[in-house]
Amino acid sequence: MADSKKGAEDDGGEFADFMADISQEIAQRVESLDAAPKVQPAPRKPTPVAQDSGLILEWENVVDRMIEDIR
Amino acid sequence: MSVVNYGTREITCKIVYYGPGRSGKTTNLQHVYSKLPEERKGKMVSLATETDRTLFFDFLPLDLGTISGFATRFQLYTVPGQVYYAATRKLVLQGVDGVVFVADSQSRQLAENIESLQDLHANLADEGLDPRTIPLVMQYNKRDLPAGEISSIEELDETLNFRGVPHFSGTAISGGGVFETLRSIASMVLSRLSAPATKES
Repeated sequence: MADSKKGAEDDGGEFADFMADISQEIAQRVESLDAAPKVQPAPRKPTPVAQDSGLILEWENVVDRMIEDIR
Repeated sequence: MSVVNYGTREITCKIVYYGPGRSGKTTNLQHVYSKLPEERKGKMVSLATETDRTLFFDFLPLDLGTISGFATRFQLYTVPGQVYYAATRKLVLQGVDGVVFVADSQSRQLAENIESLQDLHANLADEGLDPRTIPLVMQYNKRDLPAGEISSIEELDETLNFRGVPHFSGTAISGGGVFETLRSIASMVLSRLSAPATKES
């Protein structure tokens, strides 16, 4: 009788103990990841455009912007 | 690699039980499966030969439910221990987050343990994983066999555990050490969880 009761407790107990430990670990881990400083994207530079013609003069900046947008 | 996916609110980790043939890898998973509450019991996939040896691999999805707002899943795999299933072992190791090395404590199996450990290291390296840093725990199984037939823990540790990782005595057939081992590897894997590198909201 006592053995069968112990058996029933063991059945749930092992997994329950495991879950309790793991839940605590995950909660701590998620919390620490949440608290980690997030990398802010660099502020966008305005694309230089010639006043009159509308031509883009600095192609390197445009390419940077395009890559940033694709990301 | 295991990640906390903030987009889908999921945590998924892959743990592989490695070791020589008949060391007790499948028995470990069977014990875990037998202790799962009914509502969490998925399907354990096990492909065995007529003589009950693992032919391809065992797979036990362990759905732990929602923890801290994240759907958490552990995927437990075993590999076939027999030497000639090398290709399968490499396949199962893909994307692994942590390894449990199940060693057979029988003295006459020491050479097989060493060979399997070397095989693990070679396969991890092939996968681009560093065998010196990947989460690993050792389980010295079959400690219930007569003392004259098994190596001491110290001897096994000295021979196999040169990284000095956590080690556990196992009697997987009766469940001894199974959850302790799983808890340890899960903890090691979780400590390495990282946020994904891609943009997530």
